[in-house]
Amino acid sequence: MAAVVKGVLKSVRERGVLGFFRELRDEGYLNCLADGNLLQTKIHNIGATVVGVDKFGNKYYEKLGDTQYGRHRWVEYASKGRYNASQVPAEWHGWLHFITDRTGDELRLLRPNKYGLDHKENFSGEGDEYIYHSKGHSLNPGQRDWTRYQPWQPTKT
Amino acid sequence: MGLGLLASRALRSTRAFSPLNPRNVRTIVSTPELQKPEAAAAVAQPEADLPKRTPVAGARVHLPNPEDAIEVFVDGYPVKIPKGMTVLQACELAGVDIPRFCYHNRLSIAGNCRMCLVEVEKSPKPVASCAMPALPGMKIKTDTPLAKKAREGVMEFLLMNHPLDCPICDQGGECDLQDQSMAFGSDRGRFTEMKRSVVDKNLGPLVKTVMTRCIQCTRCVRFATEVAGVQDLGMLGRGSGEEIGTYVEKLMTSELSGNVIDICPVGALTSKPFAFKARNWELKGTETIDVTDAVGSNIRIDSRGPEVMRILPRLNEDINEEWISDKTRFCYDGLKRQRLNDPMIRGADGRFKAVSWRDALAVVAEAMHQVKPEEIVGVAGKLSDAESMMSLKDFLNRMGSNNVWCEGNGVHTNADLRSSYLLNSSISGLENADVFLLVGTQPRVEAAMVNARIQKAVRATHAKVGYVGPASEFNYDHQHLGTGPETLKEIAEGRHPFCSALKNAKNPAIIVGAGIFERNDKDAVFSVVEAIAKQGNVIRPDWNGFNVLLLNAAQAASLDLGLVPESDNSIESAKVVYLMGADDVNLETLPNDAFVVYQGHHGDRGVYRANVILPAAAFSEKEGTYENTEGCAQQTLPAVPTVGDARDDWKIIRALSEVAGARLPYDTLGAIRSRMRIVAPNLLHMDEREPATFSASLKPECNEKMSTSPFGTAVENFYMTDAITRASKIMAQCSALLSKQ
Repeated sequence: MAAVVKGVLKSVRERGVLGFFRELRDEGYLNCLADGNLLQTKIHNIGATVVGVDKFGNKYYEKLGDTQYGRHRWVEYASKGRYNASQVPAEWHGWLHFITDRTGDELRLLRPNKYGLDHKENFSGEGDEYIYHSKGHSLNPGQRDWTRYQPWQPTKT
Repeated sequence: MGLGLLASRALRSTRAFSPLNPRNVRTIVSTPELQKPEAAAAVAQPEADLPKRTPVAGARVHLPNPEDAIEVFVDGYPVKIPKGMTVLQACELAGVDIPRFCYHNRLSIAGNCRMCLVEVEKSPKPVASCAMPALPGMKIKTDTPLAKKAREGVMEFLLMNHPLDCPICDQGGECDLQDQSMAFGSDRGRFTEMKRSVVDKNLGPLVKTVMTRCIQCTRCVRFATEVAGVQDLGMLGRGSGEEIGTYVEKLMTSELSGNVIDICPVGALTSKPFAFKARNWELKGTETIDVTDAVGSNIRIDSRGPEVMRILPRLNEDINEEWISDKTRFCYDGLKRQRLNDPMIRGADGRFKAVSWRDALAVVAEAMHQVKPEEIVGVAGKLSDAESMMSLKDFLNRMGSNNVWCEGNGVHTNADLRSSYLLNSSISGLENADVFLLVGTQPRVEAAMVNARIQKAVRATHAKVGYVGPASEFNYDHQHLGTGPETLKEIAEGRHPFCSALKNAKNPAIIVGAGIFERNDKDAVFSVVEAIAKQGNVIRPDWNGFNVLLLNAAQAASLDLGLVPESDNSIESAKVVYLMGADDVNLETLPNDAFVVYQGHHGDRGVYRANVILPAAAFSEKEGTYENTEGCAQQTLPAVPTVGDARDDWKIIRALSEVAGARLPYDTLGAIRSRMRIVAPNLLHMDEREPATFSASLKPECNEKMSTSPFGTAVENFYMTDAITRASKIMAQCSALLSKQ
């Protein structure tokens, strides 16, 4: 606890009060008030080591020793509001789920340059573009034209 | 096992073994009837317990004089038939459907498919029943092992050279060979050799040929020569080299060529526009009538969803028998092209803009109110139904104008006497005529089904045909008497050699073309024709041979409803013209400031001068009454939904009348029909020919002189006569390839 208070005082001293509150917001401490998951992660983070940060800004933590085995690796998502598991890129997935002990930064080097794609999170439900519409639906871009007649076009003259 | 079942079994077994039924007693003697004479008597009289059979397809027989009737037995059933009937017809009357491929009851008998083999008692071999005349007391057996084996053998031979491509064949599902091989064929084949193949023939844009599938029934050949009257098709070669073809590469130039598709029992001749478009079991059939000419052929529109897929004929002995013309059959793709689907208003820049119905009707109503009532003119098109013409006339009358007519009727056409614009002998009655005089009409292009009747009469009874008009093609023997009115005058005055033929004829028929309605001297022409009719004794109580052959489906009904303009030059003085599907009306004399409303279903000639377009329904999309040229009222039924924002014709006029402040008193089709009952009750007698009551002799004398200008051709191009056929791609192909330049 003392470490937390010390840390708070240190950053207030460094950035000033306004800067401190801005950082609080950016780090998601304000979201913690409504989001218990995030609060729990933040509490978990105390004393953990940051193993890596991926290019999206997700932080990967590990805490060995006094943590229950199987709960010793976790991620704090970069986005504090709308986070979901698909934001973890493939290279970190293995480390996070105890498939491998190699971190994402190491595995990233193994990615083939020619055809390896950048990770993209799952946008399902994020607007019309990412919602599946059946082929008869008017929002389906490849919708079939069921008009079986050709209308008369007024000539340009 | 349930108790009931047990009980029924017990009952059945007691019945089966009860000694009361002598036929179930098992004896060890081979001739039980010798042991028990009463049992033999029970076997010898099977008629008592035979179930009643009904004739195939409602076949009926008319016995002119009962002493000529003979009795034959079909599977033990006695059946009375007139002399000269074939065994196959006797079987049909007895309720036994004999399988057949080459036999068709409207064509001559060929007897070459051998599918109709039956066993006849005391005949050493099975006989082909279609070609065998029935003899008195003949005992015909249709389901004996011999007959069944014969059919199975014939079917095996037919299938030997028939490709097994039913999955890709357009006839699949409605194929006679498919059905009959299921019913009468063997369940396995023994054929291991190669099948023969035949080169496909090009018969033109309508009929697709896959000649390998042909089973040489020669129905198409007989149809072409006997019904269509063209000698295009024939049989070449012998044995396995036998082929149907045109001998030299040649297109089939008949206007009835589409019927060979229906008549072909296999998939050798199929519809080219319909090829691979749909399967017949996906289609919804709607029994309706055709409006592309004045015959009113009975058709079935086969549709899938919102689309008309094909048009087939429907049997009507009085009008089209079971044939239809190519224009009727293949015009359907015109229903899908150039459709008007939104109300449109021509803006100040001369361009059309799609608007809502409310705006369009308001603009039309305002334009109508700004002019004097007599300057409003209404023209009904050739495809209009009687209901919409009735409402158009009522609406314009309420607006104060009586200048309403139907295009093709000309001015001052006599609508008072129905006999002066109907085909009074009726279409089927033309078969009884023995001399025809065609005045200014080319029935081959004006009404192909009427022409088929004339051809039938010429072929059956060698009726004489005299023709007055411009040089034209006929598919039967005819005499070209002259080109114009002076020939008519010669006949009327008895100076022409054809007069004697007309005078000696038993049932002379004069057919006047409706193209004469457009002539200025039409009254004079008609009075001369009536004079000829009087001389030739054409109109008698038992025979009315004075006929007018109309051109358009709407003509007869419009004259019945009295759509006759009040003033002669109504177009010249018009300020508002209401075109209800009228595309062929001459608008050149229309003043430039006139306001033109076009209500119709196709963007055809009429829309180019229009200020407002109101989209309406085509004949396949609405219920409407049409009267054909012989005065038979028939009804169309909607087969497919209307396109876009289009509405029924009468509904548009009804809505417009409300906006214009002259509300018509009917809201339903039934209410319009009860209004029609007051004006022309015959239009409500569906499928019933209403002959004209008064003859043309009641007409006032005409003092006009005939002009010397020869008669013109009313229909320039058989394939393109109205908005639908002009929009059709198939018809455009046909007229490019088939019609004579």
